[in-house]
Amino acid sequence: MNLTLLTRDEVRLEIDATVGQSALEAAEAAGLYPAAMCRDGQCGQCAAHVVSGTYEMGPHSPAALPPEPGGVLLCQCLPTSDLTVALPYGDAQLPRHSVPVRQAVIETLRPAGAAAMSLVLRLQPDAALGQTADFLPGQYMELRPPGMAISRAYSLANLPNWEGTLEFLIRLVPDGAFSGWLAREAKPGDRLELRGPLGQFTLDEASPRARWLVGGGCGFAPLLSLLRQMAEFQDTTPVRLIYGVNLAEELLPNDIFTPLREALPQLHVTFAVWHGAPGANAVQGSTADILESQLASTGSAADIYVCGPPKMVETVLAAARQAGVPDAQLFCEKL
Amino acid sequence: MFCFQCEQTARQDGQAGCASAKGVCGKDEVTADLQDLLIYQLKGLGELSQRLHQHGTPDQAADSFILYALFTTLTNVNFNRAVFTGLIAEAARLRDKLRATLEAAGEALQGLSAAAHFAPAAELTELLAQANIASVRAGLELVGEDVIGLRALILYGLKGVAAYAHHAEVLGEKREEIYAGIARALDFLAHDPADIPTLLEEALALGRLNLIVMEALDAANTGAFGMPTPTQVRTTPVAGKAILVSGHDLRDLHNILDATKGTGINVYTHGEMLPAHGYPRLHAYPHLAGNYGSAWQNQQQEFADFPGPIVMTSNCLIEPRAAYRNRIFTAGPVGWPGLRHIQHDDYAQVIQAAQAMPGFTQTAAEKTILVGFARETLLGAAETVIEAVKSGAIKHFFLIGGCDGAAPGRNYYTDFADHAPEDTVLLTLGCGKYRFNSHEFGNIGPLPRLLDVGQCNDSYSAIQIASALAGAFGCGVNDLPLTLVVSWFEQKAAAVLLTLLALGLRNVRLGPSLPAFLTPTLLNVLVETFGVQPITNAEADIAAALARAA
Ligand code: SF4
Ligand code: SF4
Repeated sequence: MNLTLLTRDEVRLEIDATVGQSALEAAEAAGLYPAAMCRDGQCGQCAAHVVSGTYEMGPHSPAALPPEPGGVLLCQCLPTSDLTVALPYGDAQLPRHSVPVRQAVIETLRPAGAAAMSLVLRLQPDAALGQTADFLPGQYMELRPPGMAISRAYSLANLPNWEGTLEFLIRLVPDGAFSGWLAREAKPGDRLELRGPLGQFTLDEASPRARWLVGGGCGFAPLLSLLRQMAEFQDTTPVRLIYGVNLAEELLPNDIFTPLREALPQLHVTFAVWHGAPGANAVQGSTADILESQLASTGSAADIYVCGPPKMVETVLAAARQAGVPDAQLFCEKL
Repeated sequence: MFCFQCEQTARQDGQAGCASAKGVCGKDEVTADLQDLLIYQLKGLGELSQRLHQHGTPDQAADSFILYALFTTLTNVNFNRAVFTGLIAEAARLRDKLRATLEAAGEALQGLSAAAHFAPAAELTELLAQANIASVRAGLELVGEDVIGLRALILYGLKGVAAYAHHAEVLGEKREEIYAGIARALDFLAHDPADIPTLLEEALALGRLNLIVMEALDAANTGAFGMPTPTQVRTTPVAGKAILVSGHDLRDLHNILDATKGTGINVYTHGEMLPAHGYPRLHAYPHLAGNYGSAWQNQQQEFADFPGPIVMTSNCLIEPRAAYRNRIFTAGPVGWPGLRHIQHDDYAQVIQAAQAMPGFTQTAAEKTILVGFARETLLGAAETVIEAVKSGAIKHFFLIGGCDGAAPGRNYYTDFADHAPEDTVLLTLGCGKYRFNSHEFGNIGPLPRLLDVGQCNDSYSAIQIASALAGAFGCGVNDLPLTLVVSWFEQKAAAVLLTLLALGLRNVRLGPSLPAFLTPTLLNVLVETFGVQPITNAEADIAAALARAA
């Protein structure tokens, strides 16, 4: 059978698929590596849309499946005829190599606000990538602590570099296996295994529109990376940040924002505190409320980048759609 | 957007031109419209500059800006809309400056075109709303397709001229007649010329200007780096850290070689940078290790596989894949959003990337190709060549020149080289040669049958060779046993074509497809007046060329 992958920029990639092979496996056998994570129909990373042809879906979580007709998860999609599938990203974003697995050691570990830790890792040299920390701002990595079976995905907060430095903001979840390990056991010098970079939450640089970045809690990490990218490139595109937390003491220290404000004079920042007193620099409310009121008061037709816990992302997206922002201008990452 | 400036332009339902949200090359709508606006402004700026040249007080900053800005709009050069909003603002600033200078000098400013008065909006969305006046097809209902096509031919030829002039300028070759000629051509276009004979005349004048520009570039290159000599170039990697340099700018390559001296990093050339190895003062750097990869259209694979950073110094850039996005750098007129751009010749980040990347871990078995047959070498061997022609050992010369591309029709050039009879010599320039330069062609006497003359701008060298041969045989260039087979891709090839026509060279074979901006009427002029012939198939065209010469 023939499997055709159609990228967002309309490049057609023709692949041979055998019966019983998932679309993901067929693509990988042909040297193409569409984004995927759990490979089990649960995480929704490999979501795509069938344009023509027939298929069967293996076991999967309905929540992970794109709701529109033809929505599939490549890892569970078994073609039963020639099949054409549209990918939600361009040809240049479709990796031609399997996702690298690398080793790193903890360099520093310190609290960031009341509910998160800032984790800095140093990559060990790799045969193909050497010392480079190679990713696109907005992407994430899967981290696995030594000797543990669990791995967790966290967005990168820094920029790609040649020193092998990776920076994460990790939210401390009371019973979280990874964050528990981080809070109680981890120390500088400890080794971790990483798989990545993964994810498509990157800037649409071809868009002529303003960028509004909306983040909740540690959803700020990839937004920080995107803002740092804009700062490095002296990008003059109008940009706005709406950053929300539950309680005022969870706000990140101000020194993170100072260099961004200096490099991006056009940056407009709103801190939102959902519960309790917002404090002097923040306003009261949820990120969705604030987005809604700012969209209404500015009449802006911006691209909106949202990252945070699933619920928060859904409410923000709903608020944006409600305000008439088309889907093509919405970019999101759920933590 | 509407763009039909290159050979790979979209051709759908008999309609040519990239007119959707994104061109075949990857240029998006916003960038394309901003480029149109910039060109429109440059016409106005050129008009004012032309008056300053006439007045004897040219403005060097404006003249250099015009070259650079035109260069950014060539195919596969700059895709970064932020660059274009910046250039648009700068063009307006320079325009105001020139106007003030002219006013201060007591010049009356009557009769300026609308382009010279254009006020670009500050907001991107409003700017884009202004783009209609600047389209290459603006005025179509008024003047018809033929006039639009000829204006496009001149504009695209001019872009090519500006690109060559910029390469020469960065090496210090700054000639008043070149700046004045470019300003004159822009001034001509600013007034929406509509008379076909005048337009044709201007196209040929531009061809003559391009000959001067190619001569200046040749002087700049040979002055800075010596006269090319036949040189064996290694095409397999050597163990060690590595940087790849692509594009056409020899000065950038030289600076990178200088900056990496003593670092243990090897420098490789890619694509059109290959001829650099023939220049003695570049070849002298021991860490100029070899040539890697092939022509531009294969870069996505080749750059991904290269174990070090890549520097793109001019066209042709394709959308970078994620695998090498962080380690490809642009320089000079080149740009892509989100790629790091080298400023002030600072290669520190490139070197840092090269040190961090693994480089080649093994030295592969040595393979080489031969480059560097510029005019001196060939003219030095003139005796041998003339003897070989007289004795019948060499029956014919084919100059296969120009760009390569991804279109399937380009196999023609491979076939052509492979089918040319044993007693013919193949001269080649531009990146089209990658289709056949690794094939075995053998020798005629001491002379290799395949002679690599250089980059596409080395057409100048080829023209010198042809005229010298004509001189030696006491005949006209058109009477030489020589056929030119030009594969065009972008605007520099358009400039070279205009030069060949201006020199009266007939029987140029043009392919793989004819420029989309030339209407049937205009093509007919090329065929009838200038003897240009579209390619058919390699064997038939070789036979026809040999029959004509016999
Ligand atoms: S440069 Fe060529 S491919 Fe790119 S938009 Fe123009 S005509 Fe199309
Ligand atoms: S010769 Fe033409 S096609 Fe080839 S790299 Fe140069 S500009 Fe591009």
